[in-house]
Amino acid sequence: MRGEALFGYLMILPALVIVMLFTAGPIVASIGLSFYQWDVISPPSFAGLSNYEQLLSDQTVLHSFWVTLGLAVSIVVLEILVGLGLALLVQQRRSNVARGTFRTIFYLPLLASASSVAIVMGYMFDQKFGVINYYLGLLGIPNIPWLTSDFGATATIVIIAVWQQVGFAFVLFIAALSSVPKDVLEAAQIDGAGPLRTFFAVKLPMISPTVLFISVVGMIGAMQLFDQPYVMTKGGPGYTTTTTVLLIYQTAFQNLQFGYGSAISVMLLVVLIGLTALQFLGARKLVFYQ
Amino acid sequence: MRLVSGSGGLSRRTLLKAGSAAAGMGALGALGGLARPALASSVAATITFAYFGDPKQATSMRESLLPLVKKVDQNADLKVVGYNGTDWNDFFAKILTQIAAGAPPDIVGVATEGVQLMAGKDLAVPLDDYVKRDMAELKEMFADVDPILIEGLMYDGHLFELPVNFNAGNMFYSTKLFKQAGLDRPADNWTMDDFQSYAKKIAAIPDVNAFDWIVRLWGSWTCFMYANGGNLLEEQRFDGGQWLWDAAYPGNASVKSRKGGWKWGAPTANSAPTVEALQLMIDLRKQGLAPSPDVGGGGTLQGLFASNRIGMTIGGGFWAGGLHNAGMTPDSFDVQYFPKWKEQKHLFGVVGNAILKSSKNQDLAWEVVKQLSAADAFDLQFPGNATTPVRRSLMTPERYKTTGPEHWSVFYDTLTKFENTTPIPAPPYYNALANALNRRTTEAIASGDAKSALDGLQKDLEAASKT
Amino acid sequence: MSSSAFPARAGRAIGLLVLIVAAIAALAPLVWTLTTSLRTPAEAFTNPPAWIPLNPDWANYSAVFEQIPLFSFFVNSVIVTGLIVIGQTITCMMSGYAFAMIRFPGRGKIFMLFLATMMVPLQATMIPVFVLIKWMGLANSLGALIVPALGGAFGTFLMRQYFLQMPRELGEAARIDGASPLQVFWKVYAPLALPPAAALATLNFSGFWSEFYRPLIFLSDQSTYTLPLGLVGLQGNLGTGSISVVLAGVVVALIPSVLLFAFAQRYFIEGITTGSFR
Repeated sequence: MRGEALFGYLMILPALVIVMLFTAGPIVASIGLSFYQWDVISPPSFAGLSNYEQLLSDQTVLHSFWVTLGLAVSIVVLEILVGLGLALLVQQRRSNVARGTFRTIFYLPLLASASSVAIVMGYMFDQKFGVINYYLGLLGIPNIPWLTSDFGATATIVIIAVWQQVGFAFVLFIAALSSVPKDVLEAAQIDGAGPLRTFFAVKLPMISPTVLFISVVGMIGAMQLFDQPYVMTKGGPGYTTTTTVLLIYQTAFQNLQFGYGSAISVMLLVVLIGLTALQFLGARKLVFYQ
Repeated sequence: MRLVSGSGGLSRRTLLKAGSAAAGMGALGALGGLARPALASSVAATITFAYFGDPKQATSMRESLLPLVKKVDQNADLKVVGYNGTDWNDFFAKILTQIAAGAPPDIVGVATEGVQLMAGKDLAVPLDDYVKRDMAELKEMFADVDPILIEGLMYDGHLFELPVNFNAGNMFYSTKLFKQAGLDRPADNWTMDDFQSYAKKIAAIPDVNAFDWIVRLWGSWTCFMYANGGNLLEEQRFDGGQWLWDAAYPGNASVKSRKGGWKWGAPTANSAPTVEALQLMIDLRKQGLAPSPDVGGGGTLQGLFASNRIGMTIGGGFWAGGLHNAGMTPDSFDVQYFPKWKEQKHLFGVVGNAILKSSKNQDLAWEVVKQLSAADAFDLQFPGNATTPVRRSLMTPERYKTTGPEHWSVFYDTLTKFENTTPIPAPPYYNALANALNRRTTEAIASGDAKSALDGLQKDLEAASKT
Repeated sequence: MSSSAFPARAGRAIGLLVLIVAAIAALAPLVWTLTTSLRTPAEAFTNPPAWIPLNPDWANYSAVFEQIPLFSFFVNSVIVTGLIVIGQTITCMMSGYAFAMIRFPGRGKIFMLFLATMMVPLQATMIPVFVLIKWMGLANSLGALIVPALGGAFGTFLMRQYFLQMPRELGEAARIDGASPLQVFWKVYAPLALPPAAALATLNFSGFWSEFYRPLIFLSDQSTYTLPLGLVGLQGNLGTGSISVVLAGVVVALIPSVLLFAFAQRYFIEGITTGSFR
């Protein structure tokens, strides 16, 4: 139907123009840059594939991908489980006031900027004087070196990222659960399904597009984790919390190797495309659209 | 070169009032010595000055500097921008983006961390000819600034910046905790053994860190490294610079040891004295005298110190303002020279203003750069003892009366009392060095093995020094 | 139904307990920020922390307003965030709908392209974007932040997922009744999309309100600074600012967003979906 196709194009036009101009264009430029050596100050010099050759044997870069993947999977899984759990519990509340209050509370962490959160958390997670170790101490747990041990630093980043991002999944799940048509729920109730059965048989499938969305977007976001390692650990101890984007930033802006940094970005792009495709493939089996 | 009439220690409101055009014009009359005909350019020139610091000062600085710019070129305009950040990295990233986009500033305030980068990469203009030409005017400044700070801004025998502020790594201590532990102020030439026995006594007080530190290049375990006679890179000096010493400090014996700037050579990260210094930090932690350090700007460190949780730590003149803002009274903390290990060697960093080669108005920029080093320009740019002035004349009891510490003279005397005071090792590849240093330090703390971490650092530096 | 009343009630009680614990975890850092901002920095490390400030010291808050032009930062943030949220809600609702409900050639490929644009970090594209912005004359203005964000892959993706969840029968019935594609969108599906649109607006609001990095790189004039960037000024050079004042600034920045959300969420997220589908 010609009219319908035209309508479709017109509808996507505004978003398309903006995205193409300000995101796709620069990405293409960045990909192009990956074939050059550029220190920002002098003109770029063509380098062919040498950046990529260097990339494949660079242990630091490869290690950063593993670190980032580990962090991202932990964060996204926790985010979905905790976000969905909280959304279900909040929707269960009968009073409007209770629902509204809890919704506001769980949304709040999202509003704080990453640098503010990092400052506050830096104080709270301090090994000797931080609040967290103080209360853990009351439970008999010895001081955990949160930011200065391999495990501690990783755990801290995951905790803080989940703390801040849960609001994201939470808000989306609330909207999704609210959109489940009431007549379907009533039908399930009439059929005698208890809350657990209703959840797995009715609610979960109906919100599965949202789960996919949070999973894909969450992964893409978490794989680009930058703020927390940048402010709190600077990638340490050693290279334990050096995420790929932190490495890109340091390579490009501090070591003045923009071409190499762009090459790492291209590799990240490829990895993300792969991960997203994987999730969409899984979705074919698991996600239910109307 | 008086910019604005008034004494040191101005409040912000006074500064804003003083920055009005009237005061500026009045002060201009006092200038006298600047006898240069006013130029009128055909195209309106705009000078942009970017500095790392409080953006709030930008407006008042512009008001004070603009009349001077106009005096040299009636059609010129001045733009002053201040960028804040926890460390120089943020500032550099911003400047680099602007350079990349073709909108670089004309004048940039740069610290030791970036001087060699700017000079080595041919970004900054060597100021030699300007300095020689205007030596009569500048003699007063040179006389007021210790030559070592000047050499810190030189590279390959050329001067790239006029200095504004500096910070040396001294030992700050809590007078309250010292009293509690029954300790007197340590002697000027106290040793590492003294330091450790002091630390042990303070550690006996519950809920307190005897010593604390952060991971970075300036003022970290690197101070211990210097005191132990070690360094990350080979210390060499450039020849040259004689033109400056002869012209600016004629007949002054103290410039005999001055040359053409520090030339940082091959990496020595895993040399014995360096490893020993890092191992000491690990041992301090094992003995419970120091905790695991934080990485970064030191906000937590100052907060802890201000709540009397830290006995001793390394700080520079900028701590005077910082601790004051954190609520400490002037008598609750004090400063002493860094203790002597194999030698009593201090590190320092100095900040000045450079002119970028890309600037289309270098002559005009030079006029502004000179004014920025004026005595009264200091408090305009850095109120509240947020850093240490390079000018001896500004180091007065009045300056430190509100903030403390009592022995503020230590800050400047660190430069003059010791022959071996040396700037931090900041080669043209400073950023790669700093990142590698941070990473390997935290690695060493986490693993407890200084040697293998520093072997790794040695490799990192060797790779970085080649690019 | 009532045969399982008791376990149901216990389940709900446990649910409430879990919610309360989670709420404490969510709020604790924010409450700590608030109480510490009301004390001197020296007390920032006393444990146990005084969760309820007995002698609140409001001097830190006046210091925030003194040290930085907070009002102008606030206005800038409102303008930038407001325009971005409005713009994205419109463009993403349109594009999300089209990708979900309308067939047109190349639909799948273009959507993949959208997704791919989310996968390259800002740090990598920053310089090309900055060059582009400068070339368009937007540098150092609020436009530099607003224009590139008026459309988004994220928002498009979100709306598409929600539109896919909606029953197609409604649209088909409307078409049979003679509605044009535009009317189908406007009269049938757009109203149903209010919860996800509200969710998108909410998420965009929090995301762009607290954005730090783009303002850091694209803005150089303090008069254009948005709130998170302006607040960094409180930290002082090399961290010499008072921590309590910094935290006071954080609180001040949070308050408007909190108020807005507390007020608005009731209307959007719950409100209109109580109507059941035919």
